[in-house]
Amino acid sequence: MPVPTDSHPLHGGAVSRRGALRSGVAATLAASRVLAPSLFVGCSLGIPPRVPTVRIGLLHSQTGPLAIGSTSLRDVELDAVERFNAAGGILGYSIDPRAPDPRSRTDLFPKRAATLLDDGAVALFGCWSSASRKAVLPIVEERDTLLFYPVQYEGNETSRNVIYGGQVPNQQVLPALDWLRSGPGGERKKFFLIGSDYVYPRTTNFIVRKWLASTDAGIVGEEYFSLDTEDFAPVVARIRESGADCILNTVNGAGNIALFAALAEAGIDPAKVPLVSTSVSEDDLRSMPAAHVAGQWVLSSYFQTVGTPANAAWMAGFRSEFGHDRVFGDSMEAAWCLINLWKQAVEEAGSFATEAVRQVFARGIGFDGPGGRMTIDPATQHASKHFRLGRVRPDRLCDVVVSSDGPLAPDPYPQVAFPGWKCDWTKGGLEPGPEVSIDG
Amino acid sequence: MPFDLSWYYEIPTARAALLMVAAFVGFYWAGAVIVRPILRMFVRRSPGLNDLIGYILSCFCVFYGLLLGLIAVTAYQNVESAEQNVTREAAALSALYEDVSRYPQPYGQDLRWLIRDYTRYVIKYAWPLQQQGIIPEEGTIRAEALFDRLLDFQPSTPGEEILHAEALRQINHFLECRRLRLHSIRAGLPRAMWIVMFVGAFFNILLCWMFDTRFLTQLVLGGILAAYLGLMMYLIVDMNQPFRGEVSVSPEAFELLYQRMLED
Repeated sequence: MPVPTDSHPLHGGAVSRRGALRSGVAATLAASRVLAPSLFVGCSLGIPPRVPTVRIGLLHSQTGPLAIGSTSLRDVELDAVERFNAAGGILGYSIDPRAPDPRSRTDLFPKRAATLLDDGAVALFGCWSSASRKAVLPIVEERDTLLFYPVQYEGNETSRNVIYGGQVPNQQVLPALDWLRSGPGGERKKFFLIGSDYVYPRTTNFIVRKWLASTDAGIVGEEYFSLDTEDFAPVVARIRESGADCILNTVNGAGNIALFAALAEAGIDPAKVPLVSTSVSEDDLRSMPAAHVAGQWVLSSYFQTVGTPANAAWMAGFRSEFGHDRVFGDSMEAAWCLINLWKQAVEEAGSFATEAVRQVFARGIGFDGPGGRMTIDPATQHASKHFRLGRVRPDRLCDVVVSSDGPLAPDPYPQVAFPGWKCDWTKGGLEPGPEVSIDG
Repeated sequence: MPFDLSWYYEIPTARAALLMVAAFVGFYWAGAVIVRPILRMFVRRSPGLNDLIGYILSCFCVFYGLLLGLIAVTAYQNVESAEQNVTREAAALSALYEDVSRYPQPYGQDLRWLIRDYTRYVIKYAWPLQQQGIIPEEGTIRAEALFDRLLDFQPSTPGEEILHAEALRQINHFLECRRLRLHSIRAGLPRAMWIVMFVGAFFNILLCWMFDTRFLTQLVLGGILAAYLGLMMYLIVDMNQPFRGEVSVSPEAFELLYQRMLED
């Protein structure tokens, strides 16, 4: 009787279970060896490694009356973030931009800011009006986060938690008044101030009043209107009666369309009585008929027509992503510079932590932007900016008529209006002077 | 989502198929080694048992095959329907883009920018989120902005009235398609179906283990059946989420549209 062994199976030539198992194991091992390189590369299933992300908040209105201008700022910031991520991110982290919609409502800005910070945003970029910035300020100060604010504003404010990228009056309105009073500017002496009824126009015009008081020029009228005003014909009649030789315009938003139209319909010649606007960009001008805007003047730090190679490269890059008919404005350029400065600061700090980033800003950093170099003043955390005055062309872009030789240092508290007020974050921060009444 | 299979959709297609097949075959073979001897203690040497098991298995396979087939068709239809919604949404946007191009300025330009903005968002931000099974939120903001701006326009001539009416019709169609796309991001087979499918697959394998055949035959024939079951499961799991995995609805319709918009 044959003895069953592994080599001599019982079932006359059939494969035994043990033999089959042995063969199976051998075959499996062999197959594993062959397939392993493709199946188990790097001990993984081929799932791509996750890049760690860091969230930032973009706080711009995407609906409501402020949407069109604000949306462009969001686009610029998204463009920047996409470029950062394409180049490997920041400190090895991919940046995750979140852009909720505050709907042009001041009360929604702090709510959206709080939600973004609750969701882990390490920095906020945005706000448009001074009212929205002031509404967000307590949130960023309480949570010790940095807000990067890209819009020109009235000054009279400093915060350790805000990096201000827009112009303040000493970089915009005051040099303009200086030039307008000079020979090339037409030796203008009678200014009519017209603005929207909120903090920016009132504070700016307060500074203008104080500044003009020390000159031989004067103010022949000053009027404010709600943001939704559509009828400017009566005030245009009063401007004509006042004998003004220059109108300083701090009207914000859609009201400018009606104001420019009323001036054109009244036949006020911009060559004789120019409207000098502080809150109008090329982006706003495209909403108006060329006949209403041609020849008027706009104050800005940046115009699309600035002929630097950096500007040409920036516009080309942005347009290739967002469309060739996109128009550029001052706040867009400031938003671009600020987000690049943040990246630079984070990389220098080696951290996304607010204090570490702030320390880099305290040492003073700059970025070569499309409109020229922007540096952040460590004392005030405001940007040094060029002053430029542009005349609107028939194609609704602006020719630069006069420009500062270089960036002007920021002064959020011009002494002519806020005597005794100083701010230096490198030496103890804000030193308040005597209380100032803007309406007084 | 009945089961969290997020990790599965990140595996490249070929590897996912191999993984599923290997899991089923591995399970069958392991069972053949461990469970089969126990089962055979009860059923071994029962004359005619293989015939009985074969009869039950063939009946079972008819029902199970029908179920799998119908589920596979449903999953495929879900993918196709999602793809159609995406195409319709892009087509409605394209028509709307053409309509608003005829609007007076600045409305025409604003609306074109907003449509481009929405399209770009869908491609660059919404799609990667959809592929993770996340419903993108910021597209709603962009759609609202577009709708609001369209409603701002007040037609002043009969021609503009006709154009505006057509644009409103297109935007409503676009919003409807968009809603359907968002709905299909998390659409999938209900949990009960998954349970029935996997329990059915298990019974199938169980019946195979009961066959009284030579071990190698058992391994080879059962392994083939298990491999095919695994392949079917792979197909259904892969198609269950129309926007997930390598084989999923692509944003190509939006990409082509955006490319054309940029060339304007």
